[in-house]
Amino acid sequence: MTSLPTLSTDALSMSYGQRQVIHELGVSLPSGQVTAIVGPNGCGKSTLLSGLARLHKPDCGAVLLNGHDIAQMPARQLATKLALLPQEAVAPEGLTVTELIRFGRQPHQGWLRQWSAEDQQVVHHALAAAGLEALSDRPLEALSGGQRQRAWIAMTIAQQTPLLLLDEPTSALDLGHQIEVFELVRDLACQGRTVVMVLHDLASACRYADHLIAMRDGQIVAQGAPAEVVTPALVRELYQVECTLLLDPDTGSPLLANVRRASQPA
Amino acid sequence: MKMTAKQSMSGVVLPRTSTAYQEEVSAQAVAAPQGYWRAALPRYGVSVLLEKRAVAVNIGLSAALMAACVLYLSLGSVTLSPNAVVASLIGQGDSMTAFMVQQLRLPRLIAACFTGAAFALAGVLMQTLARNRLATPGIIGIDNGATAFAVASIVGVGVGIAPPAMALAGATTAAVLTFGLAAGSGTQGYRFIVAGIGVGAVFGAVTQLMLARVAIDTANAAYPWTVGSLNARPASAVQLLGIGLALGLVAALALARSLTLLRFKDATASGLGTSVKARRLQVLLLSVVLTALAVAVAGPVGLVALIGPEIARSLSSARHVPILAATLAGALVMVLADLAGRTLFAPIEIPVGIVTAVVGGPWLLWILMRPQRSRP
Repeated sequence: MTSLPTLSTDALSMSYGQRQVIHELGVSLPSGQVTAIVGPNGCGKSTLLSGLARLHKPDCGAVLLNGHDIAQMPARQLATKLALLPQEAVAPEGLTVTELIRFGRQPHQGWLRQWSAEDQQVVHHALAAAGLEALSDRPLEALSGGQRQRAWIAMTIAQQTPLLLLDEPTSALDLGHQIEVFELVRDLACQGRTVVMVLHDLASACRYADHLIAMRDGQIVAQGAPAEVVTPALVRELYQVECTLLLDPDTGSPLLANVRRASQPA
Repeated sequence: MKMTAKQSMSGVVLPRTSTAYQEEVSAQAVAAPQGYWRAALPRYGVSVLLEKRAVAVNIGLSAALMAACVLYLSLGSVTLSPNAVVASLIGQGDSMTAFMVQQLRLPRLIAACFTGAAFALAGVLMQTLARNRLATPGIIGIDNGATAFAVASIVGVGVGIAPPAMALAGATTAAVLTFGLAAGSGTQGYRFIVAGIGVGAVFGAVTQLMLARVAIDTANAAYPWTVGSLNARPASAVQLLGIGLALGLVAALALARSLTLLRFKDATASGLGTSVKARRLQVLLLSVVLTALAVAVAGPVGLVALIGPEIARSLSSARHVPILAATLAGALVMVLADLAGRTLFAPIEIPVGIVTAVVGGPWLLWILMRPQRSRP
């Protein structure tokens, strides 16, 4: 087994356009767990994720993978350590499920190593893990939203990285398809992967994440296990809404009930 | 406890070391993915894939190009039999035929092949870069920029610099202007196309202005530049294009794996280990240089850059960017278009740029009007 990777930031500042949205942020992501980053629109959660994936250059500070600054790593090497599923990913028209998943092998391949026994094995496993064997030769356009999203996650599985970053993986999906995706994410964490996802929905984050990072105005306002950090006060601070917190009788995760607009603006 | 949601449901691949995998799969035979041939030297860890469809398409297009070339050499003011053409090419037959084939028609055929191939290769590169099948160098103003500078050197505005160098300077200027004006919005979306059309229009007007202000003889000398013609092109420019095309094709094929990934969004390509910015710059440079060298020979026959890749894509699978097929299709289109221009209304010759415009214009409209497809 490879040792668990560590991903953290050191005094990370990032801008979106002219505006600095993240200021000197230091955070460490727990290995082998599912972390959800939540917060109101424009709080910098997606910007943080794109920084972790090296899509955007930081103004200053660094993202550290096993203690090394990822800005110094070759693109291909980083892609064998860290996989990213961007928001609303689109594939060229006509690709089948297997063809998309094969792209996940790209960082492991080269001109003289285009299709090895290992590639075949990994793609086969990724198809099985995402429950897509029966759909392997279907074009992506012919799949449901949930199936398509599972195909994209299968592509990142085939990348065989210990770290997986997902940007709002369920934003365009209905409830049933959301659950499909979240259960797949849980499976991946159980197998020892570190998953970091940006989520819009606090309730899903509570239910499916081991670790929650709540952000507002580019700062972390709370982090920890959902059952410990989610309080009515935190919900008010993040979203300016009042709510009553219940505990899910089956799973013990916090549930938001009677959500209403706060009487006084925070 | 949150056991229900957080339990594992099925076996999932673990990030394991390659040795673990090699032990597991050593006994297993490796099958090529569907639609591919695979050649491998397992001892050296070498495995190469060939897409069956790509092989068939490239062989088919090569055969069609060969047939078109023989036809091109046969037809003209004097019609020769294909046998006589082939005989004179290998140094047999009578001297009159040999002169006609080797001295008159062959140089022009080579110019047609090279320019068509270079325009189409530049086109498929730019389309992939912009993820937009309308975004060929001709449409975003690069052809017109190259033409304006080349005409400037002929009508004596510029000093005595060779047309290919001037064309390269013009193409680069137009590319810088288009990318500069579209800054912020990137190369995706219509702002980039609209900026390019504007830049192209300005350079087109500059060319016309220069021609209007010089003596009629000079203007006549520069006329082929403005419509695109293969009539009596300078041999040195053709040689330069040949070298550029050979190197450009090798470079494009070396970039093929990255080009395949550039069709995805930047975030996806980058997540799969592509240095997106560096690759895009390389692809852009290649496209601009190829266009400039081709314009220096034939003038702005930019619609070949639209038609060639379009034919290649309609024949190929969606798995790859059809680099070689687009290049071959471009050469084929150019040879057939110049053959038509030379022979249809003989003895009057129609410049190849006009033939491709007559065919390419409606084609462009058809692309614009038919339902959107996202397959650059």
